[in-house]
Amino acid sequence: MGFLTVENLSAFYGKAQALHKVNISVAQGEIIAIVGANGAGKSTLLDSIMGLTKTTGVIKLGDNVLTGLGSPAIVRLGVGYATERFNLFPYMTVRDNLMVGAYTARDDIERNLDMVHKLFPRLEERENQETMTQSGGERQMVSLGRALMTSPKLLLVDEPTIGLAPKVCLEIAEVLRRLRDEFGTTIVITEQNANFAMTLAERLYVLEAGAVQIEGTVESLRDDPKLTEAYFGH
Amino acid sequence: MTQIIIQGLLLSGLYALIAMGFTLIFSIGRVLNLAYGAYLLIGGYVYFYFAQMMGMPKLVGVLLAVIVGAAMGLAKYRMIVKPLKGDHVAIEISTLILAIVLQSGVILAFGDSSKILLPIIPGVERLAGATIPYSNLLAAIVSWAILISLYFFVNKTHTGRAMQAVSMDAKGAAISGIDSDRINMITWGISGALGALAGVFFASYTQLTPSMWVAPLIISVAIVIVGGIGSIIGTLIVAHIIGFMEIIVTAMIAPELRGVFTMVLIIGVLVIRPQGLFGREEL
Repeated sequence: MGFLTVENLSAFYGKAQALHKVNISVAQGEIIAIVGANGAGKSTLLDSIMGLTKTTGVIKLGDNVLTGLGSPAIVRLGVGYATERFNLFPYMTVRDNLMVGAYTARDDIERNLDMVHKLFPRLEERENQETMTQSGGERQMVSLGRALMTSPKLLLVDEPTIGLAPKVCLEIAEVLRRLRDEFGTTIVITEQNANFAMTLAERLYVLEAGAVQIEGTVESLRDDPKLTEAYFGH
Repeated sequence: MTQIIIQGLLLSGLYALIAMGFTLIFSIGRVLNLAYGAYLLIGGYVYFYFAQMMGMPKLVGVLLAVIVGAAMGLAKYRMIVKPLKGDHVAIEISTLILAIVLQSGVILAFGDSSKILLPIIPGVERLAGATIPYSNLLAAIVSWAILISLYFFVNKTHTGRAMQAVSMDAKGAAISGIDSDRINMITWGISGALGALAGVFFASYTQLTPSMWVAPLIISVAIVIVGGIGSIIGTLIVAHIIGFMEIIVTAMIAPELRGVFTMVLIIGVLVIRPQGLFGREEL
């Protein structure tokens, strides 16, 4: 039985349907990747888990039903979210951005801050810098750091490597792996780059036009002709 | 000279207090609350009713004014701002109408003649040829105390940071577990309380009239435009620029021109530096 289960999830923006009966199941301590092109519905899926869209279907985290709850309640139940555009607070310092993340987890501030600084030493060096003046890589770190400050059991990361230099991508991947291995965090990432997704995740879901087309373990999908054709371009 | 400095400081402190509640809503809720002056109006009259007509202790009168102000702020958010969801023109029109309705209500209840508030603390202090009523001194001290507390509240507490977060990135705030509706309620409540308190002091500085909501609104708009949104320090500095400018104009040129220079300053800043002297370009 999954830790996160998504059953028959459809999502709507006004009358437009962005997701069609998506089913996903993630075990505790697993890293899975949602792979798909631009506009396939990856961000919508994560937004929906976070309670930010209008949906039908059921989303469960452990024994708690998330469907119908607002984001604040979902954060309290243990879901952290690092969005694609980061959605940082541009005129606040790195430290204040992290402290906003601690809004619901005020008893864990010291422990979480310590963990974030251990994972991203650069955030401690730059703690008084306003995030608007930071590079894309640093913003990604603040965004992940802020999500971690909410004490998440499930971490959603939308396109962790988009627009980042290859070296920074590896750093981020390493941090996500450490989070899972050392802190037991369950992680869902989305990726356009199937190659990168395969280096990090155990299982993939391939999303196309808002529906799951292919799913399986990295092993079983490595040689899947359909996936190769669609996402490796050779 | 000393007189100008002393009067300038006193008036500026009062202006800063008047503008603070307005800045708060403009910066965090992104709403131009044209009914802001009505908090001062109602605050002044609530104080007048309880402390002067009913003869309750003055402190109780001030407290009741603050409570009614906060309640008005909450009601305005619930009944006007939230249902109109970001339709700025509609919100501005309704808030302006609300202010006028409240003015009529006050005329109905108290008549339209102006009233003098008895000083909260009677007596004056003479210093270097300047006469300082204790009430004005108290107003300035209270303004400063409140501005300093507000600065720490907004920058150093979870709720204060959440208020900034909601204003800078609503989605970022939501995924950090912040209920923006609750934060907006708190902000509107604080704004109303500050406005009503400022009203008590403003009315004792000038006098109590049903049209006393207009001047503070213009001062607040001026301070926010010149100072730029989102900065408590900016509000404080600009309150002093405008306060001193008015005192100097009154003393050196002509009392009739007092407000004119403020208006000229508004237009000048709008043309030369639209984001304000201390504001960010776009939040």
